[in-house]
Amino acid sequence: MTTQETKSAETPAVAHPGSDTPPAHVIVGPDGQPTRDRPWIIRTYAGHSSARASNELYRSNLSRGQTGLSIAFDLPTQCGYDSDDPIARPEVGKVGVPINSLDDFAILFDQIPLEEMNTSMTINGTAMWLLALYVALARERGAAVDKLSGTTQNDLIKEYLARGTYIFPPEASLRIIAEMYEFCLVNAPSWNASNICSYHLQEAGATPVQELSFALVNAISLLDLLKERGNIPPSDFERLVGRISFFVNSGIRFVEEMCKMRAFTQLWEEITAERYGVQDARFRRYRYGVQVNSLGLTEAQPENNAWRILIEALGVTLSRDARCRALQLPAWNEALSLPRPWDQQWALRLQQILAYETDLLEYPDLFEGSVVVEAKVEELKAQAREEIDRILGMGGVVGAIENGYMKSALVRSMSERVSRINTGEQIVVGLNKWTDGLPSPLLGGEDGGLFTIDASATAETLANLDTVRHTRDDARAKAALAALKEAARSGASMMEPSIECALARVTTGEWARALRQVFGEYRPATGVDGQRLGLTGDRVEQLRARTDALVDVLGHRPRIVVGKPGLDGHSNGAEVIAVSARHVGFDVIYSGIRLSAEEIVRSAIEEGADVIGASVLSGSHVELAEQIMTGLHAEGADSIKVVFGGIIPLADFPKLQALGVAKVFTPSDYDLIDIMESVTSLLEESVVDAT
Amino acid sequence: MSTPPDRIAAAVAVAQEALTGGRYAVSRLISLVEDVRPSAVLPRDAAIAALEDAARERGHRSSILGVTGTPGSGKSTLLAALAGLLTANDPALRLAIVAVDPSSPTSKGALLGDRTRMNVVGAPERVFFRSQASATALGGLAPSTFQVCRALALLFDVVLVETVGVGQSEADIRHLADRVYLVIAPLGGDELQYLKAGIIEVPDVFIINKCDEPASRSTYHQLRASLWLARPEAGDGLPIFRTSARTGAGVPQLAEAFITDARSHSSSVATKAPHFFDAWVIEEWGRAGKRQLQREGGAERFLAAHEGFGRAQLAFDAAIRRSLQG
Repeated sequence: MTTQETKSAETPAVAHPGSDTPPAHVIVGPDGQPTRDRPWIIRTYAGHSSARASNELYRSNLSRGQTGLSIAFDLPTQCGYDSDDPIARPEVGKVGVPINSLDDFAILFDQIPLEEMNTSMTINGTAMWLLALYVALARERGAAVDKLSGTTQNDLIKEYLARGTYIFPPEASLRIIAEMYEFCLVNAPSWNASNICSYHLQEAGATPVQELSFALVNAISLLDLLKERGNIPPSDFERLVGRISFFVNSGIRFVEEMCKMRAFTQLWEEITAERYGVQDARFRRYRYGVQVNSLGLTEAQPENNAWRILIEALGVTLSRDARCRALQLPAWNEALSLPRPWDQQWALRLQQILAYETDLLEYPDLFEGSVVVEAKVEELKAQAREEIDRILGMGGVVGAIENGYMKSALVRSMSERVSRINTGEQIVVGLNKWTDGLPSPLLGGEDGGLFTIDASATAETLANLDTVRHTRDDARAKAALAALKEAARSGASMMEPSIECALARVTTGEWARALRQVFGEYRPATGVDGQRLGLTGDRVEQLRARTDALVDVLGHRPRIVVGKPGLDGHSNGAEVIAVSARHVGFDVIYSGIRLSAEEIVRSAIEEGADVIGASVLSGSHVELAEQIMTGLHAEGADSIKVVFGGIIPLADFPKLQALGVAKVFTPSDYDLIDIMESVTSLLEESVVDAT
Repeated sequence: MSTPPDRIAAAVAVAQEALTGGRYAVSRLISLVEDVRPSAVLPRDAAIAALEDAARERGHRSSILGVTGTPGSGKSTLLAALAGLLTANDPALRLAIVAVDPSSPTSKGALLGDRTRMNVVGAPERVFFRSQASATALGGLAPSTFQVCRALALLFDVVLVETVGVGQSEADIRHLADRVYLVIAPLGGDELQYLKAGIIEVPDVFIINKCDEPASRSTYHQLRASLWLARPEAGDGLPIFRTSARTGAGVPQLAEAFITDARSHSSSVATKAPHFFDAWVIEEWGRAGKRQLQREGGAERFLAAHEGFGRAQLAFDAAIRRSLQG
C-alpha cells in the first residue's frame, strides 16, 4: 500500500559528546545548527467508486496536508478484469478505484502534477500494467518519466501466502517483477518497482520473527534472481540493492514492534553488506513504509480502535534509527465498512499532530544504549537468522511457497492467536473483556457511521469503458496486444510492449487475458491442511454429539460448502471456518477463493450440501447473496441454507435476511464454537421444520 | 422394517429426473445412495432398479476408471486437465468424478478440498463432481462408494474415481474400477521402496506426473526395473506415462489412452457387488459377520438369493441378529 521518500535529503547528523557543538540530545543540520527531522510521507490509503470520485478525494486530501498518494484499486483492476466482466460486476468500485484504460488514469490524476507527486499503488498481479499506464500518462502529458517517484507494491510472494490477488504462476510473476526493476533502474530511477511486504503476513497471523525472516528471505530471493538474470551491469548492482524497499505492519505490542523495526534495519544492513558487498551506506539503508495493523481492530466498541491506531503508530515512529519513510493509518471504523472522507481526515490529523505538534522529530534516537531494547533486538535477530537459513535451505522463497512451509507456518500462528483470544489468554478490550459499554455516539449519525458507495458511479465507469472500446484505433490495440504476447513468449521484456498497450487504449482485462493465455493462471495449495485450533472441552464434545445425532436425522453427516465468492482473496477467515467445521464433525467441501456465485451454487448442488458458508470482505455481500439465492432457486434447491460471514455492516442485515440468508456473522462473532453452534442449530431447526 | 410406498415413488421420481439430466436430481440421488438410515434401503433399491431398466432400454454402456495417487502427486490438477480433454474430444461424452478423501478419526468430519483444484476448462456442463468422505476407520473407499459409482455408471458414460493412494484404497479400487491408474510424483529411492512394498501390484497404468522435474527420468527407469521384478508376467506391457499438469506435456497422450480404455471396457458393476457386500459385512459386523456370511454360503450366493443389494443388506441384518440372539 505504500512506500518511502525517494528524494530525501541527506539525513542530518546527530551531535556527539565531546564535540564543541550542541549536546547529544540535539540533531544538527548541515549548517551546524540544531534542527528537526523532516516528517515521514503522510498518506491515507484511498480510492473508491470511480476515477472521478477518487480524483476529487485525492485533491481534497492533498489540500488538507497529506503529502503523498496511496491508491486503492478495486478487485477487478487488481485481478485483471474489465469492469463489465461478469465476475467483476459486483465488485466494481467497492474496495478501491476501477481502472480500465489510460483514459480512466487521466481522470484519476486530473490536476495532480505527476512529477511532483509521490504515488504509491497497492497493486500486485497487474502491477506492470499500472506502472505502464503511469509511464504512458506521463509521456502523453509531456512529463519527465525519470522524475516519477512512487511505488508499485508488486510483491506476489505475499499474495500467494496471504492476500490472494495473484494471477500468474510464481515463475512468471517473478519474471514480471524483475523486468520492472530492470526498466525502472534505467528509466525511472526514483520508482520502487516493488515493495517487499511483511504487512500482510502479520495480518495473516505472522509473529515478529516470521515477519522479519519471511520478508528478508523474500528480498534475498528477489536480489538473487536479478543477479542471476544478468541484465543489470555489476557497476549498477549497488544502486539496485538500494531500490529494494519494504512495507511493514505495526501491531498493538508496540515495544516489540519498535524492536522489530530496529532488527529489520540491522539485519538488512548485514545482508546487503555481507551477501551483496554493498559499499555505499546509502544503498544499505532499510527503507520502509507502514500501514498499521487492521487485524486487531474490532467491530465491538469501534471507537477503541482510535487509541489502538495511535499506539501502533508510535511503534514505527518513536525510534529515529528505525523510523518509517511513509505512514498510512487505517480509520477507526475499518472493521465496519470502508472509511468516509471524515474518518480519513481524522486519521490524517493524528499523523499531523504526531509529526508537527509534538517534539518527536527534534531528538536523535531515543533508544540507543538501552540495555533492554538491545537485548530484545538481539533476540529477534538471532531467531530471524535461524529461520532465514532454514528457508534458504529449502531453495528460498519459491521453494518454501511450493512445499507449503511458509503457508502452514502462518496458518499455525493464526490458529494460535485465535485460540489465545478464545481462551482469554490474550486480552482484547471490548471484545473478550469489558464487553459491556455505552453505545458509541460516533455511530449515531444519519449514515450510521458508515460509508456507502454511490451506485451510479459504476454506470459512469462502464460508459467510459464502452467509449474507449469504440473510439480507439482497433488495429493499433490489436498489434500492441500481439507484441505483448510475443514478448511474453520469447522472454523479452514486457514493459515497453505494455506501455504501447496503454497508449493504444488496450483495457485492463485485455492486457491480463493476453498474459493469462501465455502464462496460465495460478491455483495455489490451500492452507486448510493441518490446522489446529486449540478448540477442546465440553462444548466441542457436545457439538460433536449433535453433529452425530444429525447423521441419523439427515441420513448423512452434515455437509457444508465453504467458499469465497467474488474476487477478494483474504482467505484466512474462510479457512478457519472450514477447519472448525470439520473439527466439530461436519463434512466440509472447501471450494477456495475467487469463485463466481454460480460456481458456489454449483458446488452446493453437486455436493448435496446442507448449508453454504460464504465469506465476503469486499463489501459486495448483498450482490453476491442475491446471485447465490437466485442460483439456488433456479435449481430448485431452496432448501439449502445460506450463511454469510465477513465485514458486513449491521445496516445490511435486513437486506440479507430479506434475500433468504439464514445467518450473518461479523468480526464480532470471533468465537468459533459459537459460530459452529449457530450453524448446527440452523440445521437442527430445518429438520424439525421439514417433519 | 417398512418403508412408506410414497418414499419409494419419490426415489424413483428422482431417478427419472436424474436420467433427464437434472444436476440437483443427480446429487439427491447420490445422497439417497449414501443415506445411512435403514429406511433408505428400499427406496435406494427402487431407484437403482429404475436406472438399470432405463440403461437396458437405451443400451447404455459405461466404464469406471480409478485414479489413485500419492498426496502431492498433482493428481487433481492432472484430472482437471484430463476431464477437459475427454469432454472436448467427444462432444457427447458425460463424465462423473467421485473424489474420496479421508475422514478425521476424532471428529469424524472431513475436509474435502479437491474441488478447489478441479478447474475444468472446456465443457464443465458435461462434468459432474462429487466429493465423498471415507467415513471409515480402515481408510480406503467409503462404504457407499461402490453403490454411488454403480448409480453414476448408469447415468454417465465415464465415471472417474479418485482416491488418496495410501494403503487400503488400492485394494478396494481394484475391485471397483475397470482400469486403475496410479499417479506419482518423481520420487527419491526410499519412496520407491515403499511403492514396491504394496501398491505396485495393483495399477494397470502408471503416470509419473511433474515430469518437468529433474528426478522424473531416474524415477521412470527405477519404476520400469521394479516392474520387471514385481510383475514379471506383465513384463514391459505395463504403460508408464510421463506428464506435467503444469506445462501440459504428455497430457494429450494420456487422454488418448483414457479414451481408448473408456471405450474398450464396459463396466459390469453388478458383478462386483459380492466384494463390496463382503466389505460391508466386515465393516458393519466384523468377524461375527464374516462367519455368518460363510454359513450363508458367501456373498455371491446371498446376493443372488435376495433381490437387490439393499434387500440383501436388510436380510443379512435380520439373519445375524437372529443368530446372535439365538
